[in-house]
Order: sequence, then structure tokens, then C-alpha cells
Amino acid sequence: MKLLSNKLSALAATAVMAVSLSTNALADKLDDVISEGELRCGVVLDFPPIGYRDANNNPAGFDVDYCRDLATALDVDAKIIPLTWAERLPAIVNNRTDVIFGGTSDSLQRAKTVGFSIPYAIYYAQAIIGKDSGIKTFADMKGKRIAGAVGTVPEKEFLKYAKKWGTESLYQGYQSENEVFLAVAQGKADAGLTTNTTIKPVVGQFSSLAAGPRMPWTTDYTSVAGPRKDIAWLNYLNLFVTHQVRSGRYQELWGKYVGGEAPALRIPNVMY
Amino acid sequence: MSESANTIQFFTGFRFNDLGFLAEAAGNTLLISVISISIGSVLGCLFGWALHVSVLARYILGSVLDIFRSVPLIIQLLLFFNFFPILGLPLEPFAAGCIVLIFYTSALVAQVARGGIEAVPDSMRRASRSLGMSYLQDMRYVVWPIGARAMLPAWTGVALGVLKDSALVSVLGYLELLRASQILITRTQEPFIILAIVGAFYFALSYPIGKLSAKLEQRWQYD
Amino acid sequence: MLDASLNSDIQLKLFISLASLLSSGTHMDYTFHWRPVIKALPDLFSAALVTLEAAVLSMLLGIIFGLVLALMRLHGSRPLSLFATVWIELARNTPALLQLFFFGFGLGAFGWHLTPFTIVLCGLAFNNAGYLAENFRGGFQAIPAPQYKAARSLGMSATQTYTRIIIPQVFRLVYYPMTNQMVWAVLMSSLGMLVGFRELSGETQFLASNTFRLFEFFLAAAVFYYLLVKLILLAAHLLSRRLFTY
Repeated sequence: MKLLSNKLSALAATAVMAVSLSTNALADKLDDVISEGELRCGVVLDFPPIGYRDANNNPAGFDVDYCRDLATALDVDAKIIPLTWAERLPAIVNNRTDVIFGGTSDSLQRAKTVGFSIPYAIYYAQAIIGKDSGIKTFADMKGKRIAGAVGTVPEKEFLKYAKKWGTESLYQGYQSENEVFLAVAQGKADAGLTTNTTIKPVVGQFSSLAAGPRMPWTTDYTSVAGPRKDIAWLNYLNLFVTHQVRSGRYQELWGKYVGGEAPALRIPNVMY
Repeated sequence: MSESANTIQFFTGFRFNDLGFLAEAAGNTLLISVISISIGSVLGCLFGWALHVSVLARYILGSVLDIFRSVPLIIQLLLFFNFFPILGLPLEPFAAGCIVLIFYTSALVAQVARGGIEAVPDSMRRASRSLGMSYLQDMRYVVWPIGARAMLPAWTGVALGVLKDSALVSVLGYLELLRASQILITRTQEPFIILAIVGAFYFALSYPIGKLSAKLEQRWQYD
Repeated sequence: MLDASLNSDIQLKLFISLASLLSSGTHMDYTFHWRPVIKALPDLFSAALVTLEAAVLSMLLGIIFGLVLALMRLHGSRPLSLFATVWIELARNTPALLQLFFFGFGLGAFGWHLTPFTIVLCGLAFNNAGYLAENFRGGFQAIPAPQYKAARSLGMSATQTYTRIIIPQVFRLVYYPMTNQMVWAVLMSSLGMLVGFRELSGETQFLASNTFRLFEFFLAAAVFYYLLVKLILLAAHLLSRRLFTY
């Protein structure tokens, strides 16, 4: 009996060690992805035109095409994993995805936990307002019911102002930006926090919505996110971003989904 | 360049073939429910039996199963789904959902099954044993038929509960009925009609089963 | 002998790898961080109070509506009874999450705007009322009919008969299912996080998305829920001893 239990625990020990060792045995994300033959790519699909679902309910948009381009470059299959805003970064931390194209701002706080490439797209935060809300400037948003998506930078930045104004209780956090638009369109909220690129398709969809003021915080430099410790992988992502620009693919996709000239991926007055 | 930002439609209205999309998702709801309920019930009956016969099981197994009944299912799902990739063993939403639902079902069924076994009068069991039945025969021919009837209404309640709770697997990204409805709402911006269709589907599945079980229960009472 | 020492060595390793799994996880790419959770404990605690508040309020509403629905179904006119039946069957045969979505964006389509708190309160009360109504109906039916006649012949009005004789007995009969429903209300309120309500789960999600420590935070939330449920069961037990002295 004793021997048996010893054998069993030895077996269990080897199993546990095998599990724990297998993850760090020469762990290099780049090798892993290539040998798996599959790129698990997280995207957010309620972010038209950057990520959305087409009429057949298939993922589409700027970010989705970027995923596919990266998979092509690696010569593997792209597995598109739709995520909510809030689970985007935990998905990297918990190893549910290899990479995230999700309009992720490269904040210093986030960089403590996940790794970022150089910026691959540049946005700025803008409000979407109800037509009758009377909001013209950012200051008008004080004391109004404001909706945003949980776990986004605009949420965080706005809550700083709301705290100063003492109007935190008027803020509503939703699971998706789509619910933010619905909330404003239905009149649950006076304005919603979103991104400049999203304004046009959404205003085109809801007659009761209009483009609102630009938010006072800084431009959103968004980066591709990956596991923090995998420097080789992050290097590869950097190279991928520059190649997308050099090959003209960046401009092509931006023109296709957003329209007009793609913003230059430059940060003024900084050398990097 | 046939497409451009001005011609692509980012939102499209509800179309006829979206019903097919919903039907497929409904199939997924059924699939995950049937798997979880059937395996979970068998496990639950075993657990219920163990709780009935062993004091030790009542303490250890009982308190483990109690956790599944005292923590919201949505949190169980999130914890489980996020724990395995940490170990380097990523799970598909379907697998994670199945495992959690199976244990959740078994925790609920264990209580029901234990009640069912205890509903069989001791005198009857002593009688069957004194007629020369083995323990297994006693379980098979005396306890099972009587206990199963006693536990049917509660078991149906559990099964229908799990069918409805399977909607929560949508948080993991498994494409079941509720997830499909959210996707369609995002795309079409018509929440009312889509929620109504989905509600009608759950109702059409759950209501007849509930009624059938109530009928059986009534009939068995007059046996 | 060698074999045995080898085994104990392996056992030691097993212990160490399990311990490291839960403390720092050096074998994995993941490092558990408990500090953000500990720092957020006061926030989680006040969020747990919000959960309790929503559950208790929805339960009170559920009891009131449940009683009315049960009486409507038993003694109401045809349309009243039909109304009660539709409510009860809808509440019992569709997912609670769907009901919450309905009170949220479904009603919003008609220009009815509820705050996240009201959505959760209405959704849970609707659901509780449906389940409790069936319990109450069983309770009313279990009370022998002669009691009604006896009470009335003692000169009590119909209202007096119900409030003084019948309903107290019904409550005693359905006390256990009601306790169960209260536990369900606490567990169901976690769905509030999906409709923008910052109760325990919503707050946990908010904190987790800020710190990316999803697993740690939800584990803490699970502990809070477990304690909350145990507390409710204990309170229900103590209350029953005071209320139902035979």
C-alpha cells in the first residue's frame, strides 16, 4: 500500500514537473508559433472599422487583416480570437493568445505586465454624443451621464476628470463599445467615449448620434501586445510593423477601412 | 480596389440567413448542455451515493461540492478558463465550459441523488436484503426505481437550470445561443427582436420538459 | 532503501513545485501577484455590500410580487391568472442573463432607461418572483381548506384571515426554498458585471482589467461569495430559530 502510494505520488510529481518544465523549456514564442503552425491572435470586434463582423458574422477590419498578414509572414494559420476590451491584456498574461491587435494604447502601467511593439496605428479619443445632449466641448461633459467600455484607456483617463468633478457616479462602464453606442443611442447616457475612427461608421448607423468633442488627453499610440519577456517575439513584431508601412500595406488597409491618408507612425520630438 | 471605406458596410440589418446562424448556435447550446447534464448527472449520482454511505466523503467531498454551489458559475468559468493557460495548457472555451458545467451539475445532482437514496425507507431495504438480495441487487432493483422517482422533479429542475446557465459559457467566447445573439446585436443594433427570438428558443426547449416532468410526477403519485 | 529515499525526494519536489505554483510560480511563465488584490480588499468589501444590498432588495421585491402572483394564479380572474402564469413561466424558462439583457437594452429600444442598478434589481426581482410564486402556490395549497372557513366563522375578514392565519403558515412552509432563493439571488447578482453594474463581480472585473491580474482577483471574489453565502445560511438558520418556535 505504502509502495503504491509512493509510486502514485512519484507519478503525480513527474506530471506536475513535466507540465511546469514544458512551459519554460527553451520557451521562445517565435519558435512556439512556428512549430504549432498557428498564430493565436486576439482582436476586439466591436470597434468598427478596425474590428467588426461582416454581414456573414465573420471577423473583419483593419486589425483582423493585420492578424492575417502576420500569420502569412510567419507562414502559419491565423486563429482569430475575439476578445472584450477588459479581457484583452489578461489574455496575453494568461497565455490565451500569442499576440493582440486590439487598438491597445502603450501605457507605462500596462507595459509593466505585457510587452509592446512600436506603435502600429495612431488614434485619438473622441466622444460620441446624443444629438440633443447639448454637449459641444469637453467641459460640457461635466455632470452628464458618460458611457465607456470597461478596461480601456479612455475610461481610465475620463475617470480622472470625473473624480476631479466629483461625478464618478454618473459614469457607466459597459462590456463592449457597441453597448456604449447603444446606451447613447437609446438615451441611457448623454455621451460615450470612443475613438476618432469609429465615429464615422457609428454616426452613419444611428441617426440620433453625432460626433462629439475630442478628449483632452494625449494621442493614442496603439501597439501590438505580446508576452513581456519574449524579446525576440517583440522584435519580430516591431519588424512586422515597419514592413507593413514599407510595403504600402498599412496605407492600403487604412484607406480601405478608415479612408484617407494613414497617419504617419511618428512621435514628434522623440527619437526612438 | 473594389472596396473602400465608403462602400464597406460596418453594420448590416438582420437578415434571413442570420436565423441559420442562430440555429447553429442553438445547436451548440444543446450540445454543451446535453454533454454536461448527462456526464454531470452520472457523476452526481456517484457522489450522492458516496455522500450517503461514507461519513468521510460527507466531510471532504461534501465541502468540495459545496464550493461549486456557493460561488457564482460565471466566476467558476472565468477562473477555470484562465487557470489552465497559466499552466501552459490552454483550453478551448468549449472544453473549459464543459468541465466546469459537468462539475457544477454533479454538485447539484449529488444533493438530489442523496435525497433520492434517503427517500427509500430503511425497512424496505432491510426487507430486500433479508430476501437474499446482494447490496448491488438492492441498489439496482429497490433503491434505483424508488429513488429515481423521488428525485425526478428536483433533477429536472437541475437539468433545466444547467440548460439555461449554459448561456454563461458565452463569457468565454463559446459561440452558443446567447453569444450569437450578442454578435447579431452588435452588427444589427436591433436588440429587442433578437433577444425575443433567443428567449423564445430557450422557452420552447425548457417549458415542455418542465411540464412533462410535472405530469410524470403527478402520475407516479397515484401509482 | 534507495527506492524509498528516491521517492521521498520526489515527494519533496512535488511539494515544492506545488508550493511554487501557488506562491511565485517560478516554473511557469506566469507569476502570481497578490499585492494588488490585498490593496484592493477594501474596495472588494464595499462591493460585496453592494451585492448583498441588491440581493436583499430583489428578494424583498420578489417576495411581494411572488405572493401577489401566487394569489392571482390561485384566485384571480381569468386575465389576472393568465398574466401571472405568463410572468412565472417566462421567469422560470429563460436564462437569468437574458432577462437582465432584456431589462437593459431590450427595454431601452422602447426608450425606457434603467440605470445598471435598476436593471439588476428588476431582473433579479422578476426572476425571484417567478420562482417564489410557485413555492408560495404550493404553500397555499398545502394549508387545509377548513382553516379558511374556521377563521372566517370566527369573524375575521378575508384580509385578516390571510395576513394573520394563512400567510404566516405559508412562510413557514416555504422557508427553506426561500433561503435557497436568497442564495441564488446573491449568485445571480454576479451577472450584474455584464450589464455595467459595479457589484462584487463588476468591481472585480474593473480591478482585474486595470491590473491584468484576472485570476488572482476572481479567486478573491470567489472567496467573498463563498463567505457571503455561508453568512446568509447562518443568518437564515438563526432567524428560523427565533421565528418558528414550536
